[in-house]
Amino acid sequence: MVENSPAPLPERAIYGFALFLGSWFGFILYLIWAYVPETWLFSLGLTYWPQKYWAVALPAYLLVSVGIGYILLFGINMMSTAPLNSTNTVTDNYAKKQQQKKFQEEAIPALRDIPISEVNRMFFLPEKGICNSR
Amino acid sequence: MEAGSCGPPPGCPPGVEERPFRSASGEPLALRRRQHSASCRELALRRPRLQLRSLSAVTSAVWLAAYGVFVLSENSMVLSAAIFITLIGLIIYLHFVKIDQESLLVIGSLGIQLTSSYASGKESTTFIEMSRVKDVVINEAIYMQKVIYYLCILLKDPQDPQGVSEVVPLFQSSQPRLDCLMEVYKSCQEILDQRKEAPQSSGIK
Repeated sequence: MVENSPAPLPERAIYGFALFLGSWFGFILYLIWAYVPETWLFSLGLTYWPQKYWAVALPAYLLVSVGIGYILLFGINMMSTAPLNSTNTVTDNYAKKQQQKKFQEEAIPALRDIPISEVNRMFFLPEKGICNSR
Repeated sequence: MEAGSCGPPPGCPPGVEERPFRSASGEPLALRRRQHSASCRELALRRPRLQLRSLSAVTSAVWLAAYGVFVLSENSMVLSAAIFITLIGLIIYLHFVKIDQESLLVIGSLGIQLTSSYASGKESTTFIEMSRVKDVVINEAIYMQKVIYYLCILLKDPQDPQGVSEVVPLFQSSQPRLDCLMEVYKSCQEILDQRKEAPQSSGIK
């Protein structure tokens, strides 16, 4: 279990520093690509870099995707709820395979999934009494 | 059979109870309960019919929009197309979408019959034999962003006596509220209880 803790380790410090240097390098490279005029880059021999249009377009695309992602995730969540005619609304694998513990006198009954017919009778047919629904 | 909370309305034969309820979206529904015999009961939920004012509103909106497009594009086909679309749309809506009445006929020894009557007069029925029916319950489920109560028939699983093989939701287009569902549930349970009390007298197993 010790290997799974989030505590700092020497390897993690090295990974973190490499990532730090890498991200600074990437950022400086992006700034050079966006701001340095094309003629200067050509004179250095860097003729096949992408158009500067993408230096503005890619961040715009990214931000719009993040915004749409919030809404999309909410919508996917709502759509993937079980339809009204699926048996997943009344039971599931764990409830089907549950074991029935024996009833002991004067002990709290064991936790179990009560079938929906029993629950309905308890809620909506109060005159029947609880003892009849076994 | 005693009268409903406000008495049987005129036009209701004696022995029939009719009570007003509301659907989940607020529109008024009428639940008509009729006892044919000791083990046979019919429950019908009636929705309000197509209103003239909503029909005129939709027709005017479509025709005004088509006229606006005609003024912009100078193409008179838009006007005839709008008339066709309105007529055919209305026919399709009345025949396939607008359900006027949903009814449940529970016959204790035979089965349960569900009938949906459309505004054009079409009726679609489904019959479920009593040997396949495990129970009729009020289930709660997440539907989009809200939790709704709906009545459903649980069908038995041939392999597992305690299991549920299928769930058949009822009154999908009327969507009555919980008070109406409780009435229907109690009526159905009175009939379904009779088959448990007399298992040796039930015919088809």
